[in-house]
Amino acid sequence: MTTTPTETTPPAPPASSTSSPLTRVLGTLAGVGVVLVAWLGLVASPRDIVQKDSVRLIYVHVPAVTWMYVAVFLCAFASFMWLRKRTDGWDVLAASAAELAALLTGLGLITGMVWGRPTWGVYWVWDARLTSTAILFVLLLGYQALRRYPADPQSRSRMAAVLGLLLVPNAAIVHFSVDWWRGLHQDATVSKIDVSIEGLMLFTLAASFVVMGIVCAWLLVHRFRVGWLERRAERHHLDAALADRQADADPSAGVAVGGPSS
Amino acid sequence: MTTVLAMTHAGYVAAGWIATVGILGGYAFATIRKGRRLSRVVPPEERRWT
Repeated sequence: MTTTPTETTPPAPPASSTSSPLTRVLGTLAGVGVVLVAWLGLVASPRDIVQKDSVRLIYVHVPAVTWMYVAVFLCAFASFMWLRKRTDGWDVLAASAAELAALLTGLGLITGMVWGRPTWGVYWVWDARLTSTAILFVLLLGYQALRRYPADPQSRSRMAAVLGLLLVPNAAIVHFSVDWWRGLHQDATVSKIDVSIEGLMLFTLAASFVVMGIVCAWLLVHRFRVGWLERRAERHHLDAALADRQADADPSAGVAVGGPSS
Repeated sequence: MTTVLAMTHAGYVAAGWIATVGILGGYAFATIRKGRRLSRVVPPEERRWT
């Protein structure tokens, strides 16, 4: 008697992670992209005449801040959609985007301070752009605290959605602060790209935008799935607790389950 | 490596890049690890991506 391989090979167990073919492709592209941008930004691209090599920080600072805006707007959009639809998906997306926005804002502040020291001579100055970014960062940290506050899930989501919508005017203030108030920070880099930037510098900046976007998309998908799993795990935990309580309250159910047959 | 060491402001450039890669990498590691832990609790039929 012979057996075919399909009979003897057990079915592959489902992946016990947040990975999927999509995230594997994104993750591979992100890994390759980070290496490429690191080579372009640290080795291949030329130094600036005025800022010298400190200009190489532009390839991490500007993409982080730009994608921070996208994450904030995604959080606000998902918050708005949750207020309309009240579905788990929009709520989890808003929470995931806000977490990513907080991460990118922190990263923007750190890289900005590190860049400011050789450029301006100080790590920090109470400039309009820096101050408004710090306020946005505090708001995003507050959002994270609100998400972890032990309260009724519906009211917690509602408060988080309102705060998520309020992030948009703050992000707008951050963006336009360099136009509205005079300060140390330069004008917007993205909307007013200096055409005098040397070809390879411009290409490296564009590549760093794309790679940071891929990294952010990859992180967002994983974070969304983690949020989704948290909701499901909470429900399973609640269901199990309810079943236990029902079994305690109704001893006959326990006899039936334990039963004469066992 | 010699190109990087020959830079002006090499310490600042390295600090900015290391902070970026470190923070994003650390967050990715923590998120994936949390996802793996939670995936063991939730049945596969509720993980729509599998």
